[in-house]
Amino acid sequence: MNLLEIKDLHASIAGKEILRGVNLSVEAGTVHAIMGPNGAGKSTLSAVLTGNPLYEVTAGEIYLRGKNLLTMPPEQRAREGVFLSFQYPVEIPGVSMVNFMRTALNEKRQYQGLQPLSSTEFLRLMRDKRKLVGLADKLQNRSVNEGFSGGEKKKNEIFQMAMLEPCLSILDETDSGLDIDALRIVAEGVNQLRTADNASIVITHYQRLLDYIVPDYVHVLADGQIVKTGGKELALELEDKGYEWLSTQ
Amino acid sequence: MVKHTITQGQIVEEVYLNQSNLDITFTQQEGSTLRLFVVDIQGGQYANHIVVEQAATDCTTEIYHLAYLTDNDKATTHTNVRHLVGGGTSNQLIKFILGGKAKGEFLGELYIAPDAQKTEAHQTNRNLLLSSTAEVRTRPQLEIYADDVKATHGASTGQMDESALFYMQQRCLDENTARRLLLGAFMKDVIEPISDQNKREELLETIDRIIQ
Ligand SMILES: Nc1ncnc2c1ncn2[C@@H]1O[C@H](COP(=O)(O)OP(=O)(O)OP(=O)(O)O)[C@@H](O)[C@H]1O
Ligand SMILES: [Mg+2]
Repeated sequence: MNLLEIKDLHASIAGKEILRGVNLSVEAGTVHAIMGPNGAGKSTLSAVLTGNPLYEVTAGEIYLRGKNLLTMPPEQRAREGVFLSFQYPVEIPGVSMVNFMRTALNEKRQYQGLQPLSSTEFLRLMRDKRKLVGLADKLQNRSVNEGFSGGEKKKNEIFQMAMLEPCLSILDETDSGLDIDALRIVAEGVNQLRTADNASIVITHYQRLLDYIVPDYVHVLADGQIVKTGGKELALELEDKGYEWLSTQ
Repeated sequence: MVKHTITQGQIVEEVYLNQSNLDITFTQQEGSTLRLFVVDIQGGQYANHIVVEQAATDCTTEIYHLAYLTDNDKATTHTNVRHLVGGGTSNQLIKFILGGKAKGEFLGELYIAPDAQKTEAHQTNRNLLLSSTAEVRTRPQLEIYADDVKATHGASTGQMDESALFYMQQRCLDENTARRLLLGAFMKDVIEPISDQNKREELLETIDRIIQ
């Protein structure tokens, strides 16, 4: 059974159809890159996978390890192991990072039938995972994403991913806004979190990230459909030729 | 009406919890500090009337107010801060949370007397609407007769941030827990300045129980 199975997915926002029949199979242990022009529907796909209520699914199916995702509320999908590193992480003034992460992790553990972590265990885990992605200590005492720089927000997303250990992580332009060193550190963090049981969907515009997080497949999403799939060399070809040649095929 | 005098140099912190229809006047003497917390989270129908008079120089007044209204609750809070003498400071933070068909009103009177120079007075009103049928009205009334003063007032009303809710759900929190965290965050800056730790924590627990 594939980890993720998307079949003929159609979705719209504000009555406008954005996804027009997306098919995608993701096996455990693989990395799939999704590239494609601005406005193609890449973020829409990640929103629909995670159950964002702004989007309406008009047709199609999504299965995670054989379970129907479309009938689950967002938090249940998250607890089943779907994680989205947001293209634009949200600031939540007044809610501290520590409190937020503790609640998040314990909700997930409860769902899995596990005991909540003790305070000491939790803080140790926070420290270890922060190191993994090079997130500054001082940020954990602040409100969620509030006043974080663009790069800090992206690091914070990967930090949360490391805390929650998802089986399917979707990284929506995690590379944008990261400086060269941070990009490498974050990518190494992502690589360290790779196991034979989980998988990642990496949405990016740039080949550079894929030098660090080497994809097994590269897909081109254009105009709401996956119009081409290839190996990692496809990313190089796209860097060279752009997307024009695909739509004229 | 209850009248209190805060004597020279005295620092007073008062927390009024769920004392609907509070009707109170404070007169401050030189160099005194009043920190007033008026927290109404039980709802109902009520009107608060709070008067603070700075009768001498170098006084500090802080007023924090939280009103949590649901269903058919209807509440008015009227503050009247009177700077009779200059050199004083006043800060007001007034927050309403309204759900159901609740109606809330904040009337913020601020008076700065003709000779009350070097006065600094700030009034902030923030409201959170949890339903489309709740209503809130803000009426600042500023009477400023001195020219060398700093006086500001601001009011804003918003709704629960849906994108924050979704973000939290994406991080495994169910919608209720997420809403509760956001509500707590909104109330926080009214409660946190309470310096008595026991009172503060007791209040936070009470609030937590009510917003379940
Ligand atoms: N609220 C909305 N109302 C109408 N159209 C919308 C709305 N939100 C998004 N869209 C449209 O949906 C389309 C797909 O957007 P999406 O964010 O999925 O693109 P993307 O592939 O992620 O692009 P980018 O590379 O720029 O991030 C765009 O044309 C966008 O304008
Ligand atoms: Mg996008």
